[in-house]
Amino acid sequence: MLFQPVYNNGEMFLPKIELPMRDNQTIGVITDLKRRQYLMNQLMDPSRYYLFRVQQNEYMRLTVEELLTFLIHVSERNESADRLLDYFSIKEDRKTKVGALSPSKKMYVTLLRVYFAHQPTLVLEEPFFFLEEGDRRKFKVILDDLSREKQILILTSNLEDALISCDAIFRINELGFHPLDIQDSDEEKQETPEQDSANITLQKIYTKRNGKVILFNPPEIDFIESVEGSILVHVDGENYDCALTLTELEQRLANFGFFRCHRSYIVNLQKIREIITWTKNSYSLRLITGKDAVVPLSRSKLQELKSLLNL
Amino acid sequence: MNISIKRVRAIFVKDYKEFSRNYAVSICLTFPLIFAFIFRGAGSDMSHAALAQSAGFLFNVSFVIVTCLVQACLIAEEKERNTLRSLMMTPATTTDVLIGKSSLAFVLSAVILAISTYILGYEPASLWAFVGGIVFSTLFYIAAGTICGLYSKSVLEASLAVLPVGVIFTGATWGALLQSRYPIFKVLDYMPSSQFNHLLGLSPDFTMGDVLKPLLIILAWTIVLTIVAVMLYKRRLKDE
Repeated sequence: MLFQPVYNNGEMFLPKIELPMRDNQTIGVITDLKRRQYLMNQLMDPSRYYLFRVQQNEYMRLTVEELLTFLIHVSERNESADRLLDYFSIKEDRKTKVGALSPSKKMYVTLLRVYFAHQPTLVLEEPFFFLEEGDRRKFKVILDDLSREKQILILTSNLEDALISCDAIFRINELGFHPLDIQDSDEEKQETPEQDSANITLQKIYTKRNGKVILFNPPEIDFIESVEGSILVHVDGENYDCALTLTELEQRLANFGFFRCHRSYIVNLQKIREIITWTKNSYSLRLITGKDAVVPLSRSKLQELKSLLNL
Repeated sequence: MNISIKRVRAIFVKDYKEFSRNYAVSICLTFPLIFAFIFRGAGSDMSHAALAQSAGFLFNVSFVIVTCLVQACLIAEEKERNTLRSLMMTPATTTDVLIGKSSLAFVLSAVILAISTYILGYEPASLWAFVGGIVFSTLFYIAAGTICGLYSKSVLEASLAVLPVGVIFTGATWGALLQSRYPIFKVLDYMPSSQFNHLLGLSPDFTMGDVLKPLLIILAWTIVLTIVAVMLYKRRLKDE
């Protein structure tokens, strides 16, 4: 999937992007509202892309069953509404009017439109944003089933939402277009040199931003991530470049309660608020920060983390 | 331009269910019936000409508050909820959507007009001219309603957007009263609503020309406005 660059007042707003679309793969793109609009404007071809926008609303006066029947007929499917009600697990709401559903259920029912799409590629804008936990899980199952036959692209501004169902995640911001490393790597063996546990009590983390050198006290740091080889230190929603490698940082920060939760992430244990379980083997950590930050957690690291936290 | 009966029917059924539960709009269907009762009560001893005039008023108003309003609301509601755009991504074509919606407006108008004709007790001089005039006029107002719906973003706007249609077309029938003072108003005689009144007022010994002229004028209006509506619909969808 190829996107043309967009310029705004002579500045590059959106770089030229090529998304590697493969079958059986759901791709997530994390970006802001405006860039999302520009991306979607390039996907207006109704024969190739089914575009689900976040403003999509539903026929409020139809019941759920009538709505499904309508969608089946209008998209010329040979399916029975009964079977689909079961599959979508909304049987108990079949006689409820869409307008009378709870906001999360209403969004869930609205999202079902993507199931009926005949286009080879589905593009969803913020599909999980309005869904409650249970509906998220249900919709994730539907998306996983859909991804067997179709390519799915999810546009969101929230890493957590992208982590739910995407196999590959990219981030587009003012720094350009970057893949995010979210693969679980159990095979990878890390050679951790024997740590000389010298009684270092003062340890500053040396970062650079816009040419300035900034030193952080470790407790200030929320988490550290590695994006395409460069190390970003996240402090209070902002990120700063760091010249050290993740392994070096891990050693330095081990005494300050930091934990290597993922091949590309080090997290400050003091800042963990919640361990989110998406499916049996996909986890992420939600942090207590001003902005809602979420960090992936490798399956292999889960036990280690639990023992560290005495769970 | 392939039309699928299945898709058209799905849209028709969906719109019927949505519409019948939207009481704010569907209550308008009762107004022509109320008018018919009032007129019947007022003039049980009316002459044929007077009856034809009240029938003219009744029908021309009904076309606006039933046909035009229903069609405009159906389209505006889909736009309001962004379901029209989603509909465009299904196999349903523009023709399917327009025919599905128009047929609902058409059926509703036909039923309401038939009942009010019966209540009013109006008997046309020529039945086929009467039916022809009704069919063409209904299609004309459906096209006008489509245009109103396309220019409005919500049902609220759509219900206001049909007001100009009412003023221009229903009002045109009274333009004749000003004709002697302002000759320019003679143009109003060529409005479809004025021509429809001529059809209603046919005397029992009419000639072929008396029937054909109004019918052809209404038909011409219908064709022109339908083409405009369809073109506008396609353009509006692209803009969205």
